[in-house]
Amino acid sequence: MALSIIEALDTAGLTGRGGSAFPTAVKLAAAQRAGAELIINACDGEIGAAKDSYVLRRYLSHVDHGAQLTQLTRFIPVIYAVHAGTDVEKFLLAQGKKVLPVPDRYVSSEASSLVALQHGRPARPMAKRTRLVEGGRTSDGKKTRPTLVMNAETVLRIAQIEQHGPTWFRSFGTPAEPGPRLITITGAVFSPGVYETQAGPALTDILALAGYVHRSSPALNIGGLGGSFIPMDQVPDLAYSSPSLATAGAAIGPGIINVLAPGSCPVRTIAGMLTWAAGESAGQCGPCMFGVPAVARGFQQLADGTAGPGVLHDLARHISLLPGRGACHFPDGVAAFTASAVNVFSAHLEEHRNGHCTIGQPGAAA
Amino acid sequence: MSPDMKKGTEDVTKPLLTVDRVACTGHGVCATVLPEHITLDEWGYPILDGPIPESVEARLAVKYCPARALYWQYPSVSA
Ligand code: SF4
Ligand code: SF4
Repeated sequence: MALSIIEALDTAGLTGRGGSAFPTAVKLAAAQRAGAELIINACDGEIGAAKDSYVLRRYLSHVDHGAQLTQLTRFIPVIYAVHAGTDVEKFLLAQGKKVLPVPDRYVSSEASSLVALQHGRPARPMAKRTRLVEGGRTSDGKKTRPTLVMNAETVLRIAQIEQHGPTWFRSFGTPAEPGPRLITITGAVFSPGVYETQAGPALTDILALAGYVHRSSPALNIGGLGGSFIPMDQVPDLAYSSPSLATAGAAIGPGIINVLAPGSCPVRTIAGMLTWAAGESAGQCGPCMFGVPAVARGFQQLADGTAGPGVLHDLARHISLLPGRGACHFPDGVAAFTASAVNVFSAHLEEHRNGHCTIGQPGAAA
Repeated sequence: MSPDMKKGTEDVTKPLLTVDRVACTGHGVCATVLPEHITLDEWGYPILDGPIPESVEARLAVKYCPARALYWQYPSVSA
């Protein structure tokens, strides 16, 4: 007997490619039980991400087929969530697809934000008193229909698993992180772009995909604003897999590597990113609304070299007050990002404290 | 990792006290009712010291939260 799609996904070991790494089979089974509708998240929500639009432009018919395989689209057509006004939005509309235009804010592409938006509410994360696939409530109390939100690459992989089988899928990656996966490589590389890869290769081989040549880059950022930093001299010791990256406090996450520019000060770049992040909190949850700006201010003072003696201590406390204290994981991401920055660039922050920076010009924020 | 995030070996069949962070307005009533488990951060929002199981006091906190922001959640509910 042929495998059901749930069994096939389970055997293949497919996990969410949007960064959650949650087993797709489990999520889909719950969605099928609840009679959920399907939203494909193609917002490339993390800073530097480009793989979702890459997937839709190249593999739209496969993604469509993957959506059909979920059996969630028999009565309600699949909805493609993309940022409003982008080329990929125009492309989808020209193809006759149903599009959910998403405002260009960092947290507006979070899964529950998309569900709220689809129900006519602002694209802000919902408190998760219940699972989204079983239906929830928006911040103003409107009930939402059961909805499954899946990343575009995840849906592409569903179609591939049905076509080529779980064994084919598992011939890529590692037993713990099987399957082909896309990565976006940006920053100081020869050919920034989206690349097809897998878990397991040496991190230097991953960077070589984009022709990494700037050996004097101080560090790379992996995972964007929800990710962390790896000093360039540690890169040769690491593989592109979660267990190896974890030894450097990093993870595969949504599959984004940004090689920091050699000639620009990483500390200033990060301060700029955090100041931007402070304005991206959806302003719904107190600990995020106050905590993220407090963290941004603390880091800015360190970068400016104006920090008083207590600032590092306050910053550590403010970082510790973020995780698990918002309706979405935005504050968790900012906390890990900032903690990693303070750790990886401690020597350079010390230079700033002493009033001289040896790395030159401020980098453009992301 | 903040205390709120500590999820260890607790019984997943028993609900835990949870703060709806969107609804919470930082009234701090919960910290008055449950001082042994809940303190307030510098902005007045609750910090839970770990998973808080059902108790008479915890049920009172749920009842008296002016924003109805406290509720019981099974640890298995996420995402
Ligand atoms: S944690 Fe922050 S970004 Fe997330 S919903 Fe709450 S206020 Fe918005
Ligand atoms: S009593 Fe309710 S609104 Fe007030 S701080 Fe506690 S949870 Fe928040």
